[in-house]
Amino acid sequence: MKNRIFSILCQNAPGVMMRITRVFTRRQINIDSITVGIEPSGLARIILMFKADDKHTELLRHILLKLEPIEAVEVIEPEDSVVREVALIKTNPLPPDQHWRIVEQIERAGGKIIDSREGAIIAEISGEHDQIERLLRSLGPEVLREVARSGQVYISREF
Amino acid sequence: MAEMTGAKAVWECLKAEGVKHVFGIPGGAIISTYDALYGETEITHILTRHEQAAAHAADGYARASGRPGVCMTTSGPGATNLVTGILNAYMDSSPVIAISGQVSTTAIGTDAFQEADMLSLMLPITKHNFIVHRIEELPEVFRMAFAIATTGRPGPVHIDLPKDVQLSKAELEIPAKVEYRKPLKLDPTPSEVTRAVELLVHARQPVIYAGGGVIWSGASPELIELAELLQAPVTTSLLGKGAIPEDHPLALGMLGMHGRMVANLAVTECDLLFAVGVRFSDRATGDVHHFAPRAKVVHIDIDAAEIGKNVRVDHAIVADAKRALRAIIEALKQHLRKGRTSEWLERVNSLRRNLAPRMDYDDVPIKPQRAIKEIMEVAGPDAIITTEVGQCQMWAAHFYRVRRPRHFISSGGLGTMGFGFPAAIGAKVACPDHPVIDIAGDGSFLMNSQELATAVENDIPVVVCIFNNSYLGMVKQWQDLFFGKRRSQTYLGKTPDFAKLAQAYGAWGDRASKPSEIGPKLREAMESGKPAVLDIVVDPDEHVLPMVPAGGRLDEPILT
Repeated sequence: MKNRIFSILCQNAPGVMMRITRVFTRRQINIDSITVGIEPSGLARIILMFKADDKHTELLRHILLKLEPIEAVEVIEPEDSVVREVALIKTNPLPPDQHWRIVEQIERAGGKIIDSREGAIIAEISGEHDQIERLLRSLGPEVLREVARSGQVYISREF
Repeated sequence: MAEMTGAKAVWECLKAEGVKHVFGIPGGAIISTYDALYGETEITHILTRHEQAAAHAADGYARASGRPGVCMTTSGPGATNLVTGILNAYMDSSPVIAISGQVSTTAIGTDAFQEADMLSLMLPITKHNFIVHRIEELPEVFRMAFAIATTGRPGPVHIDLPKDVQLSKAELEIPAKVEYRKPLKLDPTPSEVTRAVELLVHARQPVIYAGGGVIWSGASPELIELAELLQAPVTTSLLGKGAIPEDHPLALGMLGMHGRMVANLAVTECDLLFAVGVRFSDRATGDVHHFAPRAKVVHIDIDAAEIGKNVRVDHAIVADAKRALRAIIEALKQHLRKGRTSEWLERVNSLRRNLAPRMDYDDVPIKPQRAIKEIMEVAGPDAIITTEVGQCQMWAAHFYRVRRPRHFISSGGLGTMGFGFPAAIGAKVACPDHPVIDIAGDGSFLMNSQELATAVENDIPVVVCIFNNSYLGMVKQWQDLFFGKRRSQTYLGKTPDFAKLAQAYGAWGDRASKPSEIGPKLREAMESGKPAVLDIVVDPDEHVLPMVPAGGRLDEPILT
C-alpha cells in the first residue's frame, strides 16, 4: 500500500490529537509518523503519515474534515514537497579508534556532533527519511544506544 | 449581561434554544443545576427511572418533532448510562443534547467519587463533545452544541459540566445566535444536477431509494413529486419508512434483510438506483457485490464521508436532500417524455401482486403478521409507531404501512433493545396529540420496563403492544435457521405477567390471546387515557420471512 501524508490544520486544544488518531485506530491503520507544530495563526499543523489504499485515504480525509476542531486536511504528495526529518543519536562509549571512525561516518552522512563524553557521542542529523535510515543502519545496534526522531515534516513546494 | 451561576446559565441557554422538555435524573454532580430548575416554569423536566431511558426519550422526542431532544444526568454512572442511548442517536443521526455533571475541575483526574472520563467515553460516539472548564465558556458551548447537533447531518452532542462551573458566578450574556463555523455544502452544483437528470432521463427501470436523510431534510414532498414525475417506484431504508406514504401506488416498502421481496427484486433488476439520504447499511444491501448489479448508482447525501463508503457510486451529489431533489425536479420538468417507465412499472406491479405479504391469519396462538394488521387498523395514520429491536421490529418494518414522515421511530444502526418504550415516551411528550404505540417484544420491553413509572407519574399515555413469544425471538430465529435449532439461552419463560406488571405501576394492562381480541383491547387501551400495556401472545415458532441471510444476495432470500 502507498505511503500517504495528511497535513491537518486544526485547533490547538486538549483532546484534538485523540479525536484524530482514533479515526485511524478504529480502522486498524497504523500511523507511521506524526508531528505537530503551531502556526503563526495559533492553529496547530499536524503532519501525519500512514499507509492506505485510495478508497480509505479519501474516506479518512472526509471523516477528519467532519471533526469540529479540524479546519483543513491537505493530501501531500511527497514528490511535490520538501520533506525533512531530524534524528538525535546517542552512541555507546567507544574505544578511541572506533570513536573517530564513527565521528567521520556521521559527518560524512551530513550529521553534526553535538556533544561527546568518555568516548560516547551525541549527534544530530537532518534530512530525508532514507538518508537518516541509511546512517542508522550503517552505525548499527552495537554502536547506537538511543535514537530520538522527530518524525517527518513536509511543506508543499507551491508558493 | 447579568450575573448568574453556571447552573442558572444552563437553563437560560436551553430556553434561548426554545427547549421545552428535558429528560433526566439528578445526582450529586448536577445537583446545583437541578436546584436552579426548581420553580422554573418554561421548561418541563421528565424524571426517568434510568439514564439510558432519558437518552432514548430525548432521541424519540427529536425524531418525532424534528427538534433537538435534551437529556441530563449526574456524573459517573449517570453519565455512563447515557452511552448506549447516545451511540444509538449517533448511528441514526438524531440531534440529542446530552448534559452530564462532572466532578469539580480541581478533582478531575483524581479518581474522585463518581468521576468518569466522559470526554474520552463520549468522543467516538458523538458528533462533537465538550467539557466546560470555565463558566465564561458556558453560553458559547451550549449554543454551539445545538448548532452542531442540528446543522448538516444531525447528531448527538455531549456537554460535560463540572460541579464548580455550575456553582460559580459570572457576568454572562447568552448569545442570541452562534454561527456554525464549518463550511457546509447544501446546494447541488448545476453540473451535478444536469448529470443526475441525464441519468434519470435515460433510465428505463429506475428505483428511488430513500432514507432518513429525506425525513431530516423535510424532503418528503419532493421525493413524492419526483417519483410521480418519473413514474419510478420508491423503496426506503428502515429509517426512511414514512418518507413516502407506504400505501402510495409507487411505494414498494422497505429494502434489505427483512425488506419486501418486491423492493429487493426491483433493486436487483433496476438500471438506475437513485439513492437519497441513505448510507447503504449492510442490513439494506446484503452482499454489496450483488447489490443493484445492473444499475448505475446516484447517491445524494449531505455527508461527503458517506459517498462510496459501502457501495460504488456512479454519480454523487453532496447536498441537502430537499434542495437537491427540488433542483432535479425543476430541471427534469424541461426534459422528460412521458411513459418511459410503463413497462417497468408493469413488471414491478406484477411482482408486487405475486409477492404480496399475507397478514390475515386466524391462528391461535396469534400470528404476528395478523397482530400488525390489527394494530394498523386501530392506530390510524396519525399514530406514531416506535419499535423495540428484533423480530417485533422487523415485523413492524416489513408489514406496517407508515403513512407519514416522523411516524415510524426505530433503532436502526445500533439495534438497541429497550429503545422503543422510552422513545415512545419522548415522542408522546413531543407530539401529545398523536397516539403513540411501541411495537415491542417481551425481551426488549423488559430492558426498560421500569419506565412505566415515568409514564404513569408524568401522565404520558403511550401504548406498548408486546409481541410476547417468550423468546429473544430474533436470536432464536437465527438459531433455528443457522444453528441447527439449538436454542441456546433464548427462552425467556412465561414471566412476568405483563398485564399485572403494568397494573402494578398504575398503568392499564391486559392480554390478547386470540386475533379477534387485539382490535377491541387496543382501542380500550388507547381510550383509557393511561399508559398501557397490551400483552399479545404470539406464535413462538413464527419467523420473520422472507429473510436475506447476513451478507447474502437480495434476490436469494430464505422463504420458508
